[in-house]
Amino acid sequence: MDVTVNRFLKIVLAVLFLAALVWLTIKLSNILTIFIIGALLAYILDPITSFLEYKGMTRMQATSVVFLLLAFSLFLFIYFIVPLVVDQVKVIQHSFSSGQSTATINRLEQSLKESIPMLKNVNLNITAKIHEAVNHFSNSLFSLVGSLISLITTLVVIPFVVFFLLKDGRKIKKGMVSIIPNRYFEMTLNLLYKTDQQIGGYLRGQFFDAAIIGFLSVIALWILHVPYFLLIGTFAGLANMVPFVGPLTGAIVAILVVFLSNGTVNQMIMVAAAFGIIQLLDNVLVQPLVVAGSVQMHPLIVLFAVIIGGQFWGILGMFLAVPAAAVVKVLLVELYRMYQSFNLTSQ
Amino acid sequence: MREDSLWTNIFRKQSAEKTDTLNVLKNIPLFQDLSRKELRQLERILHQRTYKQNEVIFNEGQPGVGMYIIDSGEVRITLGPEQKVLAVLSKGDFFGEMALLLEAPRTASAIAGKPSKLYGFFQPDLFSILETFPRTGNKILLRLSQMIAERLRRSNLENQELRKKLDSLSKKER
Repeated sequence: MDVTVNRFLKIVLAVLFLAALVWLTIKLSNILTIFIIGALLAYILDPITSFLEYKGMTRMQATSVVFLLLAFSLFLFIYFIVPLVVDQVKVIQHSFSSGQSTATINRLEQSLKESIPMLKNVNLNITAKIHEAVNHFSNSLFSLVGSLISLITTLVVIPFVVFFLLKDGRKIKKGMVSIIPNRYFEMTLNLLYKTDQQIGGYLRGQFFDAAIIGFLSVIALWILHVPYFLLIGTFAGLANMVPFVGPLTGAIVAILVVFLSNGTVNQMIMVAAAFGIIQLLDNVLVQPLVVAGSVQMHPLIVLFAVIIGGQFWGILGMFLAVPAAAVVKVLLVELYRMYQSFNLTSQ
Repeated sequence: MREDSLWTNIFRKQSAEKTDTLNVLKNIPLFQDLSRKELRQLERILHQRTYKQNEVIFNEGQPGVGMYIIDSGEVRITLGPEQKVLAVLSKGDFFGEMALLLEAPRTASAIAGKPSKLYGFFQPDLFSILETFPRTGNKILLRLSQMIAERLRRSNLENQELRKKLDSLSKKER
C-alpha cells in the first residue's frame, strides 16, 4: 500500500514539476529567446575560441579576442547595415501607402483572372493581402529592434551571455554533468558528446551557408540594380536553411519585386539566372564544404518546423526553428540508441 | 585468486601513498609524462564521482565511454552473473582505459567495494584535450598505446602458457 502511495506521489510531483516548467518557459519566453540566441552564437563561435586556445592563448584571452571581433562586426552591422534596412522597409511601406504599387498589382490580378478561368469569379484582393503582409513584416521587424528598452537589454544581455558561455561553457557543462546520478552518468556524457558532435557540425554549417548565400545574393541583386537588394538578399540567405522551398521563395520574392518596380522582363530573367547560379554554387561548392552531412533532416520536417516556429514566435521563431528541430531530432535518435545499448530496463 | 591481465593494475607502484589529486594523477602511468601545468589542465576536465558501498560503477555489456582512477576507496572488478572477482583495486589504481580508444561493450563490471571517490576520464575528454592541447593529448595517447601493448603482450604470454597446458593435458589423455 505504502509503495503505491509513494509511486502516486512521485507521479503527481513529476507532473506538477513539468507543468511548472512549461508555465515558467511560457512566462519567460522573451528572456529565454535572448538567452537561446546568445547560446547559439556562443556555440557557433566555440571552435574559433578553442582554436585560439590551441594556438597558445588562455581561455580568457581567446574569449576576449573572439568577443572583440564580434563586438566590432556588430558595430559595423548596426552602423552601416541597420539604417539601410530600416530605410528600405520604410520605402516599401511608403510605396504601398502612396498607391504606387497598387496599380501594378491590380494589373497582375486582372491578368491572372483572365488567364486562369477558375479565378474569374473569385475576389483575389491581392493588394490588401500584400499590404497586410508588408505591414506585418515591417512591424515585427521594428518590434524586434524597436522599443529602446528591449533593444538595450538585448544588446547588453546577448553579448553578456555569449561572453560567459564562451569562457565558462565547459565548466558549466561539467557542473551540470556532475549532478547527474551515477547510474545515468556515463550514458548522459556519451549522449551529450554525440549530440554535440552532430548538432555542432550542422548548426555551424547552416550558419556559414546562410551567411555565404546571403552575401552572394546581396551582391548579385545589387549588381542587377534590384530595389531593396539588402532585404531580399538577407532573406534569401536565411530562407536557404529550408530546403527547396527556401531558395525558391527567395528567387520569387526578388522577381516579384523587380516586377512590381516596373522592371523589364530581361531584368527578371537575369535575377532568376543569378539565383540559379547561386544555388548551383551552393550545391556544388558551399554545401559540401561547410555543411556536415551528419544530421539528415528531411525537408518536410524542416518545413513543418519553420511553419510551427513562425506560428508561435513569429519571424524569430522561423529562424530558430531549424536548429531547434535539429537538436530535438538528434537528441531523440541518440536517446533511443543509448536506451537500447545501455539496456536500462534490465538493471 | 589469480589476477586477470586485462583488468589488474599491472603498472601499480607500491610506494605511492600521497594525498592531493595532482599526486594521484602523477602516479597514474597514463599521465606520468605530464608536467604539473599539464596535469592541472587535465584535472580541470576530469569528472569527480562518489560511490556508495556496493554501488555499480559500470555493468558488463554496457558501452564503455572511458576510464576511472581511484582517489579513495576500493573497487571490485567482477565477471558474469555469479560476480566472479577478477581484481580488487584501491587508491591510485585505474580501470577501463581501453574504452578510451574503443567504444566497445565493457568486458566486466565494476562495483565499489567501499565508499569510493573516483576520477572519470572519458573519450570526449581525451578528444577535447587532443584538440585544444595536442602536446598533452599526444603524451597521454602514447602512454595509452604502450600500456595496451603491454597488456596485450602479457595476455599473449598467458595464452601461450595455457595452450601448452592444454596440449600437455590432451597428450596425457591420449
